[in-house]
Amino acid sequence: MVYMQSTEKILLEFDPETKNLLPALKKVSAVFGYVSQGDAEKIADYFNLPLSRVYETASFYDEIKLKKEPALVIQVCSGTHCALNDSFRIISEIENALKIKAGDDFNPKVKLEIISCLGQCGEGPIVIVNGKIFTNVTASGIHEILEGWI
Amino acid sequence: MNIKDNLKIITEHWGKINPLKIRDYIDVGGYEAIRKFIEKMKPEEAIEEIKKSGLVGRGGAGFSTGEKWEAVKKNKGEKYFICNLDESEPGTYKDRAIVDNNPHLLLEGIIISALAIDAKKAYIYINGRYIKQREILEKAVLEAASNKFIGKGIINSHYDLEIEIFSGAGAYICGEETALINSIEGKRGEPKFRPPYPTETGLWGKPTLVNNAETVSNIPWIIINGGKKYSEIGSAVSPGTKLYVLGGAVRNSGVFEGPTGMTIGAVIDKLGGGLKKGKELWFSQIGGSSGRLVLENELDNSLTFNKKSEIPLGSGAVFVFDKHSDIYDFLLSIAGFFRRESCGKCVPCREGTFRLYEITERMKDGEISERDKEAIKDILWTLNNTTFCPFGKFAAVAFLDAVEKLKILDL
Ligand SMILES: Cc1cc2nc3c(=O)[nH]c(=O)nc-3n(C[C@H](O)[C@H](O)[C@H](O)COP(=O)(O)O)c2cc1C
Ligand code: SF4
Repeated sequence: MVYMQSTEKILLEFDPETKNLLPALKKVSAVFGYVSQGDAEKIADYFNLPLSRVYETASFYDEIKLKKEPALVIQVCSGTHCALNDSFRIISEIENALKIKAGDDFNPKVKLEIISCLGQCGEGPIVIVNGKIFTNVTASGIHEILEGWI
Repeated sequence: MNIKDNLKIITEHWGKINPLKIRDYIDVGGYEAIRKFIEKMKPEEAIEEIKKSGLVGRGGAGFSTGEKWEAVKKNKGEKYFICNLDESEPGTYKDRAIVDNNPHLLLEGIIISALAIDAKKAYIYINGRYIKQREILEKAVLEAASNKFIGKGIINSHYDLEIEIFSGAGAYICGEETALINSIEGKRGEPKFRPPYPTETGLWGKPTLVNNAETVSNIPWIIINGGKKYSEIGSAVSPGTKLYVLGGAVRNSGVFEGPTGMTIGAVIDKLGGGLKKGKELWFSQIGGSSGRLVLENELDNSLTFNKKSEIPLGSGAVFVFDKHSDIYDFLLSIAGFFRRESCGKCVPCREGTFRLYEITERMKDGEISERDKEAIKDILWTLNNTTFCPFGKFAAVAFLDAVEKLKILDL
């Protein structure tokens, strides 16, 4: 079943106190994939804060996106355990295969991110593709994973 | 030093009780400490016991917990207690393990800590990625409330307490207490200048006690058994037990409880079961990404929270590197972490972590120049001496050791 979620409805889950600003931003970003300018304005109104103040907070946190994310987001963990088990080779394999560079924001279709330890150290290297977690990934095995998405 | 080797304070019931059932915890004596605190003690007496115990913060800085409680307690008016469960140090997941295995122990500690300083509201600031752990805690809070351990008139006394769970949004620096407070207030999670300390001017400008989740989990045991008994465990300078998080080339990876004051060698051998077959020790990192690197001839150092100690215990993470580890992969891992997580408030840290990462990339590609080598030393000095908050120092620690002990610039 598909629910229609509106920003107004989401905001009503929160009392308009500043301690709820970050949770509200997180929720809007999670539901719609990002916080659009229109949504940022609604949030500013709802919390009775200047728009600049909403952006100041929103832009600080990794979990709050201010741009629509590409259709394909690949994240590779580079915590010590994963790194020592070849994450950086996996990253260059992906860079070469998809002709992108880790950390770049230019490609509207795909993004490759290096992320910090997720605390699943025993099962690394960890690769996350659009939220789906793959464990014990190898530099050769990554191609098979990518094939499922492109 | 009187090490009671097998005493378990935090992990005692792990794996034996169902973390989702408050009944299981009560059946093994859980929530008795709250009863004792409410029925038999004044808050001042509880604070006295915590001071006597010698308990120091497990969040890294090693400050006396009892003294911090006292500092907040002496202030009048509205106050807050915050349990720091941000835990974003790479390779460290001890606080998460506490929630996974015995969330009610943590809650009991939080309730006593808050009541002892007269706070009527407590927050649990939890790492945004700990989604399952947030659910476990939500359930635990509900169950504790329906058993009258949280809410108005706790077990029919005059004490009231509300507990709210607040999730972070992906920023390592929010583990630092002033940044954490900014984040709850809906601001950018940047550190604030101290003093004033949160104990005077914290959340919403009110006196606030911030304690790490592991620190808090020791409280019920101390209330039941007394501060003196606790002070006899482990090392005299920072008594008690500690959760060690082992990883890398050791046979047993995971979270283990042992007394403070163990030598690094003992942690690796006794808790970690020694090295995996075929692995040979090169060096270890103690305390997470911002921890010191130690060579084989330093394994006799004992781990404490003493300010003067050569190798601080930090988060308790011990990662063991095998002789065949790729040192550049390791350095790139930590340089990348500090570059991503620098909050950008001050220039030496923002630029320093960025340039250190670039040079490390060149190092890994075998393209490092003499100029880079000189620059590394400058950057490390700047990070170590000039940044606004301790994050800059953290970013330099392992690199400095890699230069001095592993001689990475001479390779
Ligand atoms: C950069 C930085 C990161 C920190 N991260 C954490 C953390 O993840 N968890 C934590 O409990 N303390 C962290 N701290 C320490 C806190 O500022 C604070 O000292 C601690 O939560 C106090 O609790 P304690 O006295 O029980 O240790 C961090 C400090 C700094 C400077
Ligand atoms: S040292 Fe780094 S983390 Fe700390 S305030 Fe400066 S930029 Fe932010």
